[in-house]
Amino acid sequence: MPVEVDNSSTVSGDASVSSTGNQNPPPKSAVKKKRNLPGMPDPDAEVIALSPTTLLATNRFVCEICNKGFQRDQNLQLHRRGHNLPWKLRQRSSKEVKKRVYVCPEPTCVHHDPSRALGDLTGIKKHFCRKHGEKKWKCDKCSKKYAVQSDWKAHSKICGTREYKCDCGTVFSRRDSFITHRAFCDALAVESAKTQTNPSSESDPKVQAADSSPRRSPPAAPPPVSAPSAITSSDIRIQSSDPRTVVEEAPTPAPAPAPPPAGLNGSSSSSVSLVSSGCSSSSSSSSVFSSLFTSTTVSASIHPPQPLAPAPPLVGLNGSCSGSVSLVSSGASSSSSSGVFASLFASSTVSASIQPPQPPALTNLIQADLAPSTSIEPISLCLSTSHGSSIFGTTGQERRQHAPPLQPAMSATALLQKAAQMGAAASNASLLRGLGIVSSSAPQENLQWGQAQVDPDNASIAAGLGLGLPCDGSSGLKELMMGTPVFGPKQTTLDFLGLGVAAGGNPNASLSALITSIGGGFDATTAAASFRGGDYTSKDIGRSS
Amino acid sequence: MMQFSEIPPLHQIPPFSIPTMNKNQIHRARPWPGFPTSKGLGSFGDANCMEQLLVHCANAIESNDATLAQQILWVLNNIAPPDGDSNQRLTCAFLRALIVRAAKSGTCKMLAAMANAHCNLSIDIHTFSVIELASFVDLTPWHRFGFTAANAAILEAVEGYSVIHIVDLSLTHCMQIPTLIDAIASRLEGPPLVKLTVAGGATEDVPPMLDLSYEELGSKLINFARSRNVVLEFRAIPSTYADGFSSLIEQLRVQHLVYAESGEALVINCHMMLHYLPEETLPPLSNVNSNPYSFEPSSTQSLRAMFLKALRGLDPTVVVLVDEDADFTSNNLVCRLRAAFNYLWIPYDTVDTFLPQGSKQRQWYEADICWKIENVIAHEGLQRVERLEPKSRWVQRMRNAGFRGVSFGEEAISEVKTMLDEHAAGWGLKKEEDDLVLTWKGHNVVFATAWLPA
Repeated sequence: MPVEVDNSSTVSGDASVSSTGNQNPPPKSAVKKKRNLPGMPDPDAEVIALSPTTLLATNRFVCEICNKGFQRDQNLQLHRRGHNLPWKLRQRSSKEVKKRVYVCPEPTCVHHDPSRALGDLTGIKKHFCRKHGEKKWKCDKCSKKYAVQSDWKAHSKICGTREYKCDCGTVFSRRDSFITHRAFCDALAVESAKTQTNPSSESDPKVQAADSSPRRSPPAAPPPVSAPSAITSSDIRIQSSDPRTVVEEAPTPAPAPAPPPAGLNGSSSSSVSLVSSGCSSSSSSSSVFSSLFTSTTVSASIHPPQPLAPAPPLVGLNGSCSGSVSLVSSGASSSSSSGVFASLFASSTVSASIQPPQPPALTNLIQADLAPSTSIEPISLCLSTSHGSSIFGTTGQERRQHAPPLQPAMSATALLQKAAQMGAAASNASLLRGLGIVSSSAPQENLQWGQAQVDPDNASIAAGLGLGLPCDGSSGLKELMMGTPVFGPKQTTLDFLGLGVAAGGNPNASLSALITSIGGGFDATTAAASFRGGDYTSKDIGRSS
Repeated sequence: MMQFSEIPPLHQIPPFSIPTMNKNQIHRARPWPGFPTSKGLGSFGDANCMEQLLVHCANAIESNDATLAQQILWVLNNIAPPDGDSNQRLTCAFLRALIVRAAKSGTCKMLAAMANAHCNLSIDIHTFSVIELASFVDLTPWHRFGFTAANAAILEAVEGYSVIHIVDLSLTHCMQIPTLIDAIASRLEGPPLVKLTVAGGATEDVPPMLDLSYEELGSKLINFARSRNVVLEFRAIPSTYADGFSSLIEQLRVQHLVYAESGEALVINCHMMLHYLPEETLPPLSNVNSNPYSFEPSSTQSLRAMFLKALRGLDPTVVVLVDEDADFTSNNLVCRLRAAFNYLWIPYDTVDTFLPQGSKQRQWYEADICWKIENVIAHEGLQRVERLEPKSRWVQRMRNAGFRGVSFGEEAISEVKTMLDEHAAGWGLKKEEDDLVLTWKGHNVVFATAWLPA
């Protein structure tokens, strides 16, 4: 044990009252200096052990002339100047002042060992007080106690100043409590509805599960889709995202990992970026749609999936769908006309369920129609991801593996054509899923993402949709069709599609067929056929309304 | 039928003598300076004394000595009111549990004696709304410690992955997930796809109870994730600890086969859930094939051991195991009682320091602990589900299952410390080799460990 020396005399210069661990092994004599870790002192330093009394003494530096005590050596020196000492005595001793390190006098403390001594006297004092001392100082706001006055002061300054406020009015002083609360607070849903047109970066758009408050702005879009419940309300909300971060992601396709999830991820992110980029420039939003994401971001979104050969379908899917998805998720603020569609495929889960061909085609189709309505209507077609249950519908998992591959770098037109080709092959009603319509047949017993429970839920969801879908994902289109009625009456649907009144007069044949088929009994083949007819291609795209 | 109308003089209590109850015999250390010790009712107020009485009572019940049991219960009833200080409330809870036990397993005489114990034996377990639960888990660092440490370890382990599959086996119904998503969302390389799988209904009969279904919970999480630009997929697979989460494991296995090459990070986050798995002291089920995991050969190991092996078979990216550091597995009632008494005083003490007496949250908190005490003391066999094991044993189990421990980084430690700073001053952090241990006044409370496939 280091000898404890009461070092109450001056420390300046002389008297290294060092108990350099005569009885202890000397501090590490390693060549390397480990300065960065606290308590790993310079091996050449002198180890000083002070008793608790000395350590806590406030005036350690005493003037030899008048015996006045000072807390710091500098203060003492300043004072000594006033004594008009002759030159010789004034100066410090010329020898190099050795670096001193201090050990904690508390024997059980880890810093009691010379190899863990602290380099700073003030540091060791504070350490001793904090760890081994009585906590005399108490914060009146939060009742935290401190042994060192400066700690207490520092804390009081920030106590209560850094506050996190949830929209519901609750205030938190800790970020983690705030985050946990916020995640489950209903205020999140309300806020997302409010911020849909607001490009605030921190907005938390949220498609609220049960929130069917239709007060959404511009279009009288159907209320939001609530995840667990049936997608009766389909308020698509464009969630705003932080454009910057999102955009950055766009160019980075999902690289190596490649597997479907990766692909999905990649595309989703790109789509997200897509949206966000869309957001940033309102004009681009329409262009996004009109060009079916032909913008670079679009291709970017489509591209990333490419490398992910393993799961082409997914990838492809992501490429196109992600666009839409991103729209929704990224919440293009105002320029979210595209958001409509995005929301259509909204849930991020969409990526999972959306099968390549079908949805894209449809999306494109719709988007084409939407193009004109640049007036941002942050469509309220919100398919909450949570609805994911449907998205992750029973077949979701399987589908992923089986969906036909998507070609790389498709232009919008190409996508549409391809979609036409794919026709109903895609089945996986990604859209439908997205709409939360779940196929009741649960072939995949448990490979369902988002499908929390088993069939009863699906059934209820389907019922909620008022469709009584005969499940099975034979045709994504079909499901889409079936799903659309959910979004309200035909008129609303038109709005949803962005056709609005203007577009009403010029429905594309296939599109109208689509819509009419929605109303009545719907035949997947018919729809598929109409799509296959390919008559939607340029006409649809070019349609302006 | 009450045999005594007043507390009998101590020396009359047969047949053994209650050990010295003077305060000098305090061996329960309360090392933290400045903290109040239990204010007692004279010599009876000592926690040590209460423990002794409880032990004797337990012995009396086990040996069907109704008279003695009743006497001691009477004493305990008087010295440990349910609204006393933390030691008294703790003792009251144990008292309750002993009575329940006696009522379940005792003889007629015992039952008659118990009938006199006029206690209200029902516990009012609160069913939390999700917001209430969110603030409940933040009352003390009991859970937040594990959350913080686990999140840090997880984040470090999944660096670079673009798809993260999190399997959350947590008693707290996904309360860890928002902060985890938030952390994932803010990582530099951009948010990945996150898949979240939970065991639906695993702890529907164990507190804390949630009034929300898992679907709704999942939808909220997905919404929240979306607000952070993270794509979240949620899935609740009905599974229970009683069969070693076999349905969950099956699902994960299939997933693993499908996604094995896909660069998906598999994170298994176990937060105070695994101690419900039956272990070696529970005699195996009578089924011939006691292995619930159909894909593995039949085994004679306990479900707990088999579950860990099954986890290893999934080749996870990281497994985080957070649990309470105590041993409740003894088959001997007295051992268990001692172990429980010497551990569960902690939650009573912690809640005493910052929640006022009448607060609802405190009532809920203590009711949940009361439930656990009853489970440990009054139940046996499969019904006794609180089978805590100390850290050393869990560490050994993980190693046997083929995992190697990995330590928490400096950042993790400093985050935990910062978090602890925001709570009352009795909480501390200990680093034991690779593991982190949360301490209250120097006593181990919860440990956090991280594991990689060995």
